Amino acid sequence: MAELPIRATLATSRRRTWRTRSRPVSIIVFGLIVAACLLAPVIDRHSPITPDPANAFAPASAQHWLGTDELGRDMLARLLYGGRLSLSVAGGAVVIALVLGTAWGLLAASTRGLADQLLMRTADVAMAIPQILFGLVCVAAFGASLPSLIIIAGLLLSPTSARMARAVVIQEMTLDYYAAAVACGTGRVRLMATEVLPNVAPALGSQAVINAASAIILEASLSFVGLGVQPPQMSWGGLLQQGYAFLFNDPSYAIGPAVFILLTVLCLNLAADRLGGASLLGPGRAR
Amino acid sequence: MRQTVRYVVKRVTISVLMMVAASVLIFAVLRALPGDPVLARLAGSQGVDQNSIQRLRAEAGLDRPLISQYFSWVTGILHGNLGVSYFSHQPVSTLLAQRIGPTLELTILAVVLSVILALPAAVAAAERPGRWIDRLVTSFAAAGMSFPPFVAGILLILVFSVSLRWLPARGYTPFTSDPVQNLREMVLPAIALAVGAAPLVFRYLKGELITAFDSQYVRTAEGKGASRYQVIVRHALRNAALPSLTMIGLIVGYTLGGSVIVEYAFGISGLGSLSVESAFRRDYAVLQSVVLLVSAMFIVVTLAVDILTSVLDPRTRVHQHG
Repeated sequence: MAELPIRATLATSRRRTWRTRSRPVSIIVFGLIVAACLLAPVIDRHSPITPDPANAFAPASAQHWLGTDELGRDMLARLLYGGRLSLSVAGGAVVIALVLGTAWGLLAASTRGLADQLLMRTADVAMAIPQILFGLVCVAAFGASLPSLIIIAGLLLSPTSARMARAVVIQEMTLDYYAAAVACGTGRVRLMATEVLPNVAPALGSQAVINAASAIILEASLSFVGLGVQPPQMSWGGLLQQGYAFLFNDPSYAIGPAVFILLTVLCLNLAADRLGGASLLGPGRAR
Repeated sequence: MRQTVRYVVKRVTISVLMMVAASVLIFAVLRALPGDPVLARLAGSQGVDQNSIQRLRAEAGLDRPLISQYFSWVTGILHGNLGVSYFSHQPVSTLLAQRIGPTLELTILAVVLSVILALPAAVAAAERPGRWIDRLVTSFAAAGMSFPPFVAGILLILVFSVSLRWLPARGYTPFTSDPVQNLREMVLPAIALAVGAAPLVFRYLKGELITAFDSQYVRTAEGKGASRYQVIVRHALRNAALPSLTMIGLIVGYTLGGSVIVEYAFGISGLGSLSVESAFRRDYAVLQSVVLLVSAMFIVVTLAVDILTSVLDPRTRVHQHG
């Protein structure tokens, strides 16, 4: 820290102001997407699954805001109901990865030694297999129902979360307060639960937001190749697959789901990036 | 020298162990549930008697204990015999040999393209961090990172194949039979992958370059009157490139993963589309070997990059695996 590169510090400070200013935008947009999906029946009164063959491939109109698909089903309704599924896969996976990853990393950090080695090498191996391929293996083995997709995505995201959790917990354990608390005879478990975990919560939270983006991509990838949820259930990835089949007949079909996936992932990535500056959230950790 | 040899031996051993562990993991997941690929395949057809099910299971070796199935797979790998596909009854090694070419070509093109895109962007951004050009390029990078490669691919098809009709939307022609057609088909998938991979290179390279630009040696070079070009290429880039080599391992991993769905979207018959097809058919014999092969490719590239970095820059050995 003796010699701070001046250009870099100036840049980071400027970037930080820009970051803090633009943080709400990504969160607001993401909130709007979630709200729209939750309020789907209010926003669009059409059923997402009732076919209307006479109206197939209708262009955007006052009746169907984004037109209709190959069976005359309302596109907007399908996108919003599909979003519910994509977002619930992401939400479920994030919770699983948060719980499992934190427990995994915490266990490794607090045991050290052989157990730590074993836990972390397992994470390394799981991460050496490209995520989507591991996803294909899991879907082939466990099927593609909604619960199994949530569990698969959650499991696939856990090793990264575990590694991150271990790193921040170990860093926390080097601090004076930790040594002081241990010296005072505070139980390890209690210390972890009441002091360490709350202190590393911002880091875990930002990892969870990144995980949400990864889960959206994973679900979309699997559904796009037909290995995600099966019709009549729909998700953004599944709708993209249908749009892909009609790329040359109706180019606008694929754009809807593509935009929803991109916008959601972008907002989550941006939000995670802002949260990443943990000083914003963690009291007492301000630099 | 002895230190280098010891480091290389250690890294190679770790990589081999990683591959063995990956094979156990893949095998364990595929056999974790009692689901039977033979029954899954016959699910559609009716009137199949118990005898032929037994015969098919025996043919695929599924009636043997799991441990023995695993060891015959692994010893088979060492002999170049990966078993036969449950579905097409072709040897798995033949399938892999047919499919590996397009994947290698696509991966190399995407990595090269990412570096070509990221390099000038990183130089421009690092020269004046915080200025509009840095902010512009960094915003583009942030946006690019959020593009799943297959979504980028579909949007590229919409623009360049559907609207402009410049490039084919799908297909694969081997480079050896028609180089021009091959490149025309590979341009879009390679860009689709580079959209997400280039920002990763950019971010890392920019960081390294900012450090380099602030260093004493760059100040010295500027002081002695070297031209801007010389300072950037001879001094800053050369020093920033070495640590950025690590990045190549990471983007190869990103590209290999991304190409799975991109190959499917562009109708390229590579390892990625083979893995999707075999997952669809629950063709475990093919699936386990494809996934292991791609993981091994990733592990080997990471290993090669690590060794290369340590040979070129002995300082890195000290920091390895603390």
